[in-house]
Amino acid sequence: MIFNSYTFIVFFIIILVLHNLPFSWKVKKINLLLASYIFYAAWNPPFILLLWLSTVIDYFVGRALYNQENVAKKRLLLVVSLIGNLGMLCFFKYGTFLLENFTSLVNLMGADFHPAKPNIILPAGISFYTFTTLCYTIDMYKKESKPVKSLLDFSLFVTFFPHLVAGPIVRPPQLVPQFEIERKATKKQLYDGLLLLSLGLFMKVVLADSMLAAPANDMFGSQGAVTALDAWTGVLAFCGQIFFDFAGYSTCAIGVALCLGFILPQNFNYPYAAIGFSDFWRRWHITLSLWLRDYLYIPLGGNRKGNVRTYVNLMLTMLIGGLWHGANWTFVVWGGLHGFYLWVEKFIDDKTGRITALVSSHKKTIAGFIYALFTFFLINITWVFFRANTFTKAGDILKSMFGMQKGEPLLSTLAIIKVAVIIPVMLLFHWIMRNTKVLDAAYKIPWWLLGIVWAVLLLLLIWSQESSSSFIYFQF
Amino acid sequence: MPTANLSKAALLMLFVVVVSLISWEYFWRHKGFGIAYNDDEGLWAKNRADVYQPLDKATVFIGSSRIKFDLDIPTWETTTGENVVQLALHGSCPRGALVDLGNDENFKGKLIIDITEGLYFGGWEDQRIKNRVKFYNDATPAERVSAKVGFGLESQFVFIDKELFSMSALLADLRIADRKGMRPDGIFPKKFSYTNFRRQETMTDEFAKDTAMQRQVTNLWSMWGAHSKDHGITGDTLQKIFTEAQTAVSKIKARGGKVIFVRTPSSGVYWENEPISHPRAEYYDKLVSVTNCTGIHFMDYPELKNFTCPEWSHLTHADAILYTKGLIKILEGQNWFAKRN
Repeated sequence: MIFNSYTFIVFFIIILVLHNLPFSWKVKKINLLLASYIFYAAWNPPFILLLWLSTVIDYFVGRALYNQENVAKKRLLLVVSLIGNLGMLCFFKYGTFLLENFTSLVNLMGADFHPAKPNIILPAGISFYTFTTLCYTIDMYKKESKPVKSLLDFSLFVTFFPHLVAGPIVRPPQLVPQFEIERKATKKQLYDGLLLLSLGLFMKVVLADSMLAAPANDMFGSQGAVTALDAWTGVLAFCGQIFFDFAGYSTCAIGVALCLGFILPQNFNYPYAAIGFSDFWRRWHITLSLWLRDYLYIPLGGNRKGNVRTYVNLMLTMLIGGLWHGANWTFVVWGGLHGFYLWVEKFIDDKTGRITALVSSHKKTIAGFIYALFTFFLINITWVFFRANTFTKAGDILKSMFGMQKGEPLLSTLAIIKVAVIIPVMLLFHWIMRNTKVLDAAYKIPWWLLGIVWAVLLLLLIWSQESSSSFIYFQF
Repeated sequence: MPTANLSKAALLMLFVVVVSLISWEYFWRHKGFGIAYNDDEGLWAKNRADVYQPLDKATVFIGSSRIKFDLDIPTWETTTGENVVQLALHGSCPRGALVDLGNDENFKGKLIIDITEGLYFGGWEDQRIKNRVKFYNDATPAERVSAKVGFGLESQFVFIDKELFSMSALLADLRIADRKGMRPDGIFPKKFSYTNFRRQETMTDEFAKDTAMQRQVTNLWSMWGAHSKDHGITGDTLQKIFTEAQTAVSKIKARGGKVIFVRTPSSGVYWENEPISHPRAEYYDKLVSVTNCTGIHFMDYPELKNFTCPEWSHLTHADAILYTKGLIKILEGQNWFAKRN
């Protein structure tokens, strides 16, 4: 089920009513769990079995990991959990990719190997819930938090529908304690939640789908070479589309959870106002960045093992982060480019300390703004690899962007105007809001203005009539 | 902000939204628009599910826009006592739908395939038909429920019509000039036609009378090649299309189904050029012959040949009723209807 569908509206109203009826807390939790399974099964019912398998294995293995004192047995249990979780992820997400690469490799070595192409369907959100369960078992192994007391609470932690399929990626201490005591949204939380849900849907449906998806899809799907204007318009459209799509989903998820009285972690913080790349990764898909930092970068040694290892760890983390997004080498290159930017930035910052000074200053300076624009420019280069299906296509687009080839006009004037209006406004908005939160800003305006802005968001949402396209990050 | 002020903001939001939507709905109704349905994947799939009716109960139609306009479903159903399942899609090549029905072991019914040569023999894979077939086969339970809720809303509100009143459609109405060398998007007059729940496309009476709107549409046809006399595809590409049709039709017939081809009327510049770009003997007649089917070409029957399409391609609603009656009469001669023969 997706948030921007009629089905979800009906589903959410029923859940909201059930959650506010005078049932016991346990019954309410069972309701939420069943609702979460329905939410997930509404895509592809058989895949619910994978979710159950992952939940049950990690619940029992997690407990055993926490209580086991024998180091060898403890390691064995961790390996079982890692194989279970990562094995499923590898099979469903990377099975075809691995086979294709293996085939290419053996054919390159002279063999004549042409296996049938497997038809593997990717279960929605598998990358997200795998990371959620993985962090639990690793925490149990390291005894960083206590085991979840009941299977019901653990199942709800893994499956809670607002975060299940596209995050935010939650850690056990962030969510499990919220299931232990009865929760019901306060009136203020309900309003905040509904406001965030409206904003998230507006970002997804109006801006991402109705305004930006078509120019991005047309440009990245074009057959021949395009002009520099078309190439830049398409790339900027995608940079806006992916932000509004994914940040819109996260905003909806946080809003929906808040309507039920639960608090999910923030996932985006005006990333296009980032001053530099370290800052960008503190603002873009925050819960994934933190996950990669805590469960990959730091275990690899982080910055504790000298400068060279720091650079290697940084690059490895970004390459794996790239691959997490999709089974294609273009995603690896996307991660690699970010790793390279982080290298250069770290090198300069280690020598001068100026970037840290710019980022840590809460004042918005001209230098900061210029560096933020430069960061935005370089991030757009990375989006080319993220969105293009092949390196040939990515190369073609980059050549067009930098005037290295001539092409045919592709996008309509209206499409160009849409991008030319939305992207600068988005950038300006990110810069103005850089150090604040959207709800804080909403509370500062008069109530009547908030009411009108809220109504405009909803009216544009209804008038756009884009009701059912999937979120881009579901495929990850 | 205090909670009381948030409540006030929420109430104001609700008031503005409700008043705006009522006004918006009233505005379009006042302009003469009625209830219509989005001809999307959900509506196509809903009708696709109806193809399994027995041989004596229904006829399935596939094709492009012409048969959607030209077949009047109420006339057909009241006259014959049998149902219509309309699966034709405007601007599309119906080959994907034919292959889908051919491969469906459970389809054993009657099928009429409307041929618009420029589209059927276009030689491209039609993604829109593919998307509809995919939706019918693979739509998630959530998508199916959403489609049903959508039908309910579309049956009540005029403004819920993506093609006419969505934000994108209204922005496109601004008709901002495009850059040199670009093929402009076609924007049809809003009063051209409407789609009902059974997927019949009906030309509005205003359009049938308004020559300015008709010229707007003929200009679009001209821009998209109505004047072209260039010969259609030949060689292997054409042969593949014949073979594909032959295979699909054989499968349907082998299961006990019946298949007939029709060529619905066109006029004006279209009818001047279609026989030149796609000579009948090389395309339509050959298709009918290789599939071993009957063909009903409008030029072969006095009751079908004298229609005029106001915009060269589709019949008015009044003529659609007459065309349907004429077609039924010819089909009776072919023993198409179990009850009436």
